[in-house]
Amino acid sequence: MERFNPIVVFMYFALTSGIAMLCMNPIMQTIALVGAALLFLIRRAGRRGGHLPMLAFALLACVINPIFSHNGATVLFFVNGNPFTLEAVIYGAVCGVMLLAMLYWFRSFSALMTSDKILYLLGRISPKIALTVSMALRYVPLFSAQMRKTAQAQRAMGAIRADDSLSRIRGGARVFSVTLTWALENGIVTADAMEARGYGEGRRTSFAIYRFHRRDAALTAVILLLGGGIYYGVFGGFAAYQYYPIVTVRQDTAALLTYGAYALLTALPSTIEAGEIIRWKYLQSKI
Amino acid sequence: MIVIRSARVRRALKIVLPFIVIPAVVAFGVFAVRGKHHLFVSTAVALLSLALFLCGFEKRKIGSRRAVLVSVMIALSVLGRMFPVIKPVTVFAMLSGMFLGPEAGFLVGAFSALISNFWAGQGPWTPFQMLAWGLIGFFAGVLASPLKRSRFLLYAYGVIAAVAFSMVMDVWSAIWLAGAFSLDVYLAKMLTSVPHTLLYAVSNVIFLICFAKPFSEKLERIRIKYGI
Repeated sequence: MERFNPIVVFMYFALTSGIAMLCMNPIMQTIALVGAALLFLIRRAGRRGGHLPMLAFALLACVINPIFSHNGATVLFFVNGNPFTLEAVIYGAVCGVMLLAMLYWFRSFSALMTSDKILYLLGRISPKIALTVSMALRYVPLFSAQMRKTAQAQRAMGAIRADDSLSRIRGGARVFSVTLTWALENGIVTADAMEARGYGEGRRTSFAIYRFHRRDAALTAVILLLGGGIYYGVFGGFAAYQYYPIVTVRQDTAALLTYGAYALLTALPSTIEAGEIIRWKYLQSKI
Repeated sequence: MIVIRSARVRRALKIVLPFIVIPAVVAFGVFAVRGKHHLFVSTAVALLSLALFLCGFEKRKIGSRRAVLVSVMIALSVLGRMFPVIKPVTVFAMLSGMFLGPEAGFLVGAFSALISNFWAGQGPWTPFQMLAWGLIGFFAGVLASPLKRSRFLLYAYGVIAAVAFSMVMDVWSAIWLAGAFSLDVYLAKMLTSVPHTLLYAVSNVIFLICFAKPFSEKLERIRIKYGI
C-alpha cells in the first residue's frame, strides 16, 4: 500500500471508516473488524503489539450499553429493578466491535500515512499551513537536541546537582526557559532569512515525490465502484437492521450483495499487501 | 483535495461551510432514514470546522515572522506533551492566542494535537482534539486584552479551558462507547473524568503561574531586539 498515492490511500480509509460509522449493521461491523484486523496483522504495524488497551476499550463499550439502555424483548435479569436485556448486550457488543475495528484501521492508517504524506495532503489544501506544520515537525528534534545541550552545559557548570531533587526540578525549568528564548530568537532569524530569499513574493512552487500512476487510477476506480455500491445499499435500506425490540438483520440477495461488496472493499488492502509479500518471496527465490 | 487558489472560492467556502454544509450535515444526522448517525455527523462536523478555520488562515496575510513563531510554539508544545505527566498544550495554545493573535492560537492548539499524535497515537479522536485545543487557543486570542490585564481572569480561563476540553472529549467518548449520543452515558463519563479534569485544571493554573510572565517578557524582549 505504500506505493500508492497518499490521496488514494486517504480516500480508501475515509470511505471505509465512513461506512462503518454510518451503518451499525452487525454483519457489516464484523466484516469491518475482520478486514481491519487482517490488514493490521499482515503489516504487523507497530510490532510491539499493544492490542490490550484497545481490547479493554472495546469491552468497556460492551458493558456500558446494557447498563444504560433497557430496551429489548429478551430480559436476562434485573438489576435494581431495571431489566438487563439480551438485545442491549448485543448492541453493546456491536459497538465494541466497531470501536475495535476503528482502532485497527487507525493503527494501519498512521503506519501507512507517515507525517510526510499527511503534509502532502495538507499542502494540497493549504500550502501556507503545510509549510508551518513541516517547520514545526523539523523543530521538534532540533529543540530537543538544543535542550539536551543546554542541560549538559548546566550540569557541567554545576548548576544542576544530581543528588538534589529540588535543584533538578529548578534546573529543568531553567533549561526549558533557556530553550524557549533560544527557539523564539532562532525562529525570528529563520523568518528573516526566508524573507531575504524572497518568501512571500509571488506564488511558491512546491515539489512532491508522489505522482498519480496508472495503478493509482485503477485502485481509485475499484474503491469508488465498490464504495458507491455499498453507500447505495446502505442508504437504499438493503442492509437494514434493527436491535430493539428484537434483533433482525436483512439477509436477502440485495443485502448479501452489499455485505459482499463491503467484504471485498475491506479485504482490498490486505490482498494488495499479501500480493506484495508473495511477489517479494518469488523474486527472492529466483536469485 | 483541490488546491484552493482563487480567493473568491475561499471566500465562498467561508460562507458556504458554516451556514450551509455544517447545518446540512447535522440535519442529515437528525432526519436521515434511520437516524442516530452521531458518529458520522460528529466526525464530519469536526473536520468541516477545521477546514473552515484553515480556509480563513490561508486567506489572511500573515507575516512570515508570525508564521515561524507559530511553528516554534507548535514544536515546543509537542515537546512538552512528551513529558510523562504534564500536558502543557492548552497553556501554549492560550499564550500563542494571546500574544500572536486568535488564528495563531487556533493553529498551535490544533496542530500540536495532530503532530503529537504521531507519537501518542492517531485515532478517531484526533479531529476532536484538534478542534477542542484549537478553539481554546482561538478564544484566548479573542479575549487577549482582558486576559493580559488581569491575572485572575487568566487563571480562570485556564480552569475553564480544562473543563471545556474534557467536556468536549467526553462527548466524543460517550458517542463512541455507546454508538450514539445518550445523555446518561455522557453524564456518567463526565462523572468518572472529574479527577482527571481537576488534575488538568490545576496543572494548567500552575503552568500559567510559571509561564505567563516569563513568556510575555521573552516575547517583549524579542520585540525590542528585532523591532517587530
